[in-house]
Amino acid sequence: MNAIEIVNLSKSYGKIGALRNMSLDVPEGTIYGLVGPNGSGKTTLIKALVGAVRPNSGYAKVLGLDPLKDKWKLREQIGYMPQSPALYDDLSARDNILFFGKAQDVPDLQKKVDEILSFAELTSRANDAVRTFSGGMKKRVSLCCALIHNPKIIFLDEPTAAVDPHLKMQSWILFRKLAQSGVTIFVSTHQMDEVMLCDKVTILRNGEILAVDTPQNILKRGKTRLKISVNNEERTALIDSNAKNLADELKKFGLENDISAVELHSDSIEDIILAIVLEKEKEEKS
Amino acid sequence: MRHTFIIARRVLAQLKGDRRFLVLSLLAPLVIIYFLKLLFDTFPPMVNVKSYTIPICAFIVHFLSFILCAILLVQERTRGTLERMMIGGFSKTSIIGGYTLGYFGLATVQAITVLAESIWLFNLSYDTRTVVLMFMVIWLLAIVSVMLGIFISTFAKQEAHVLPFIPLIILPSVFLTGLIIRPDGLPVWAQIIGKCLPLHYAVNIINEIIRSEYSIADTLVDFGILTGYIFGLLVLASITLKETE
Repeated sequence: MNAIEIVNLSKSYGKIGALRNMSLDVPEGTIYGLVGPNGSGKTTLIKALVGAVRPNSGYAKVLGLDPLKDKWKLREQIGYMPQSPALYDDLSARDNILFFGKAQDVPDLQKKVDEILSFAELTSRANDAVRTFSGGMKKRVSLCCALIHNPKIIFLDEPTAAVDPHLKMQSWILFRKLAQSGVTIFVSTHQMDEVMLCDKVTILRNGEILAVDTPQNILKRGKTRLKISVNNEERTALIDSNAKNLADELKKFGLENDISAVELHSDSIEDIILAIVLEKEKEEKS
Repeated sequence: MRHTFIIARRVLAQLKGDRRFLVLSLLAPLVIIYFLKLLFDTFPPMVNVKSYTIPICAFIVHFLSFILCAILLVQERTRGTLERMMIGGFSKTSIIGGYTLGYFGLATVQAITVLAESIWLFNLSYDTRTVVLMFMVIWLLAIVSVMLGIFISTFAKQEAHVLPFIPLIILPSVFLTGLIIRPDGLPVWAQIIGKCLPLHYAVNIINEIIRSEYSIADTLVDFGILTGYIFGLLVLASITLKETE
């Protein structure tokens, strides 16, 4: 079953099209990634799904509910972490989490707050005002606010930006655990190492979907550059990134004894996504 | 209703944590009234400065409550907490109600301190009934100002956007509501504008009750209109506070 269904969704701000005729299905219990350059529509799409943006046309269903018409039913079941921390600086980390937890009437709230503060490694700073926190710590508090009521679907807008690598990995372990228990994670990110941790990825640019695939399949779209030196003469070839193509290409060279070195430089996921975006830009310019 | 109380408690906790804001909202009116005393002391004795004192105190509370509340709510918008509250399950009615309730306490303290300082500093002598009525007027005006601040904040995307509303709403109150001169001599159109501003009714009540003999019945219409502003602005703010972009 799909946790999110998006059909021909469009949203524009004046002449600027933030979302253009977008259609997408997100299966339940998956970690679904949104990647793309700044202004590609990631945040607008998330806001449309949580009912903070009214689309001009098309529709979206989240857990089978309309984000605008069924907002009260839906808001009990979703967690939302915006791009900016969106916290009360003069309140402590604990009070911020308690405030958003109370909105959802979370049972045994104090205990849950203690648990989540411990997960975010914030127990020792729990009672300090958030204004004294670093950017990464604020992000952690913000994540706690989104998770406190055990939502069925969590929308995370760049959740680990400015978070240190250790806690970033801890967060992704938690996301995976949540996904395994049936929670759907809809996450936008700029960090390409995180793309590989998603089950499926959508690449956006200028409010349009450029590609929807698993990270592994996106990786296969990359090229491997072969640089072969024969008797100190350098020859290069560009082949698809899979083992069979690589072997076939090498056969052309006969794998002779005087081949002294074979170097492989594969595209990273970041290169591939950038290439997809650039290719679209080239297409549009031509 | 539960959500309204949760927000009100959060607003109070936030005020407690923001000492700069607390000092500004409670001490600033007291300092300004002291400056007023210094100014009035330079006036010749034939000028009856006492008749201006309480109306000007009411104006100071009106101005500060409006500006501080509007800026705080705009901060909620720019920091994303307003949007997060709504997505988090708080309705806009509970947000407006929570803010009003949160400021209810602050407005009460503000009205008491301002009135107490004015009576002491200007050596005013009014009977208990008059002082209670003065407190009620300033307190009601403070609540109206909070509601006005909430309403105006819906038109501002940044703190700076609140500033143009000062010459639009607050400054006309100084000239057209009877704070300095009786509005009877003003052109009719200016009198009409003056009557649209809540300070007009607060000044009317104060001018009525500082006379040596007055009847409470004569103030009821103005009290009613001032209360009506609260509900009117509550409805307007509920309509203009947007949940979606």
